[in-house]
Amino acid sequence: MIGRGVVFLFLLLVLQSQVFAHGGVVEEDDICVIKVNYLRAHFKIYQPRASGHKQFCEDLPAAAESLFVMEFMHDALQTMPIDFRIIRDITGKGRFARMDDVEAIDDLDAATVFYQAAALEPDVYSVVHTFEDEGDFIGIVSATNPASGEVYAAVFPFEVGFTGWGYWPLFIGLLILIQIQYFAMSGRLKRWFVKASPTVLMLGALLLQLPQVAYAGEFIVTYTTPDGPPEINRMHSWILYVESESGEPIEGADIEVDGGMPAHDHGLPTRPRVTEDLGDGYYRLDGVRFHMSGYWEMVVTIRSDAGEDTVVIPLTL
Amino acid sequence: MTTRTLISFVALLAVASAAWWWAHSRPPEAWSDDEVAVLESLWLESLPELPPDPGNAVADDPLAVEFGRALFFDTRFSANGGISCATCHQPERHFTDGLPKGVAVGMSKRNTPSIVGTAYSPWLYWDGRRDSLWSQALSPLEDPNEHASNRLMVIAIVVEDKSYWRMYRSLFGEAAGVDTMFSNIGKAIAAFERTVMPTTSRFDEYVAAVVAGDSEQQAALFSEDEVRGLRLFIGEANCTQCHNGPLLTNNEFHNTGLINFVGEVPDKGRVTGVREVLEHPFNCMGPHSDAVSRDCSELAFTRTGPELIGAFRTPSLRNLENTAPYGHKGQLATLVDVLAHYNAAPDAMIGHNEAKPLDLGDRELAQIEAFLRTLAAPASFAVDAT
Repeated sequence: MIGRGVVFLFLLLVLQSQVFAHGGVVEEDDICVIKVNYLRAHFKIYQPRASGHKQFCEDLPAAAESLFVMEFMHDALQTMPIDFRIIRDITGKGRFARMDDVEAIDDLDAATVFYQAAALEPDVYSVVHTFEDEGDFIGIVSATNPASGEVYAAVFPFEVGFTGWGYWPLFIGLLILIQIQYFAMSGRLKRWFVKASPTVLMLGALLLQLPQVAYAGEFIVTYTTPDGPPEINRMHSWILYVESESGEPIEGADIEVDGGMPAHDHGLPTRPRVTEDLGDGYYRLDGVRFHMSGYWEMVVTIRSDAGEDTVVIPLTL
Repeated sequence: MTTRTLISFVALLAVASAAWWWAHSRPPEAWSDDEVAVLESLWLESLPELPPDPGNAVADDPLAVEFGRALFFDTRFSANGGISCATCHQPERHFTDGLPKGVAVGMSKRNTPSIVGTAYSPWLYWDGRRDSLWSQALSPLEDPNEHASNRLMVIAIVVEDKSYWRMYRSLFGEAAGVDTMFSNIGKAIAAFERTVMPTTSRFDEYVAAVVAGDSEQQAALFSEDEVRGLRLFIGEANCTQCHNGPLLTNNEFHNTGLINFVGEVPDKGRVTGVREVLEHPFNCMGPHSDAVSRDCSELAFTRTGPELIGAFRTPSLRNLENTAPYGHKGQLATLVDVLAHYNAAPDAMIGHNEAKPLDLGDRELAQIEAFLRTLAAPASFAVDAT
């Protein structure tokens, strides 16, 4: 019985990936991803005037201003000129339209409703188009490899002004039911509940942290701030003192410093550097500035003949 | 049975309403020592003396202030002869213009930021693409949507105007290369802009009363809603994470997930601005700066990274009720819109919204707004000495 359940689930998963994958845009772990050949990017569509900050993956509810955003997961896309085209779906293939179908179109320009010429976008790629009419469309993203001249493309059919969900909710409901049934039978549901209980999670986190604490013991870093205690919004310097566990000063080390606020997912506003080796294990660190109050961590990486270590200095401002 | 259920339900309701009423009608608690320290840090009295601008040798020269003030209000430095710096930076509107995006010869790319107190900021513009007031002052002159002039035309006007030329020569000497003369003109405008400062608001008077321990005066200055709003501002609402210090800004860059401007792709903000300032010939390390590179620590230690995608400089909140609309494209029309936005903290369209949803109620948002209005106070600036 369980064996058959697994086979059925496997079949469903295969089906699922085929059903969800309209050409170049797929859902992966709740994140919408566009695949331009092997290069991937987060893909988001917004209809800011019609739906505010609500995110869409492919189909759009209204003929309205639509914002297509690609956040690169492969750095290579930052160096490739990218162009973006939207055509009316005249292939007759609907959901199953592929690059071959697009290439078979004689007059691509006549079918084009939006075209953004190739451009390099080093940080994030976005285009905006206001759809005049509802209907079926195909998006085509092409990226040119600057080294080989090869063109990679992604094709994604989508619908503007889709009216109903059809049998989708039923299908998804069935899928969830079967998944739950399978988990229940295999005992995974029970395991999942145990795993999710906060105590177990906390213990797990504690265990994971243990090696880090042990690792930080190789070198000891102390810092002083000659211009007075660190305060926010003031550029200042630190004097770092690096010693081994046995109290020997670490001289001539190569030191890198970075840091940030874990609670806000961001780093320092500056990039501090060690500007002077003062000798006897002392180093001058310039360009330190904190711009928010709260909990900060400074991560000091030390490389020397005596070994390598990363020391995290916590501080609250 | 049903009657008893009904009675206990009504009793429960009565107790809950009584508790609610009690919680909301009590006078606000006194400030703790920690809170007083935070209030003092936001106090205008705590504003340090204006630091020198090593890149601008005439930054604090009274003659440069006078010359710069005249240039600031002069409409001749524009393609149509009708645009001055004050067209968008209007003194009576706290040096902003009341528009979503500035309108001069054409429409500017972003909302007009205030000049008040910007002499304290290491970075200028919403995206920090300039690192001094003097280099910032030059850009709008040549921006085709703003003054739409050019450096040759600007220099020609200064040379031909007897009063301007006299002031220029006594500050900078005889005629020199185009870029040198152009940057000198920026330095004079900057000298005037350095005098544009906030003045004491009702909030500052309130902090003075708190510091003096004068509770009668505190009650006379602030309503209970304003006190509650201030407590939320420095506490639960996390506003002082970025809006800190006496100018209520850290002058740094944050992505707060604002919506795109109608018909435009989202603005990339600081991630683009930092590239521009590092390469700009009028930056602190450039040949026209009076600074030695040792003075340029902000530029030397600045950084970039994906967290700066869609990040914009924190604006000062002083006198903010006179600086509507809000946001780098003026996306938020009123303070109510601003507070609703931070309360919801939606996902950013590009990059990552640093703010977290606050889940405050309408009443609490109204209290924060009431507090923000206590920051109203006009700017002061150098006036015509003659």
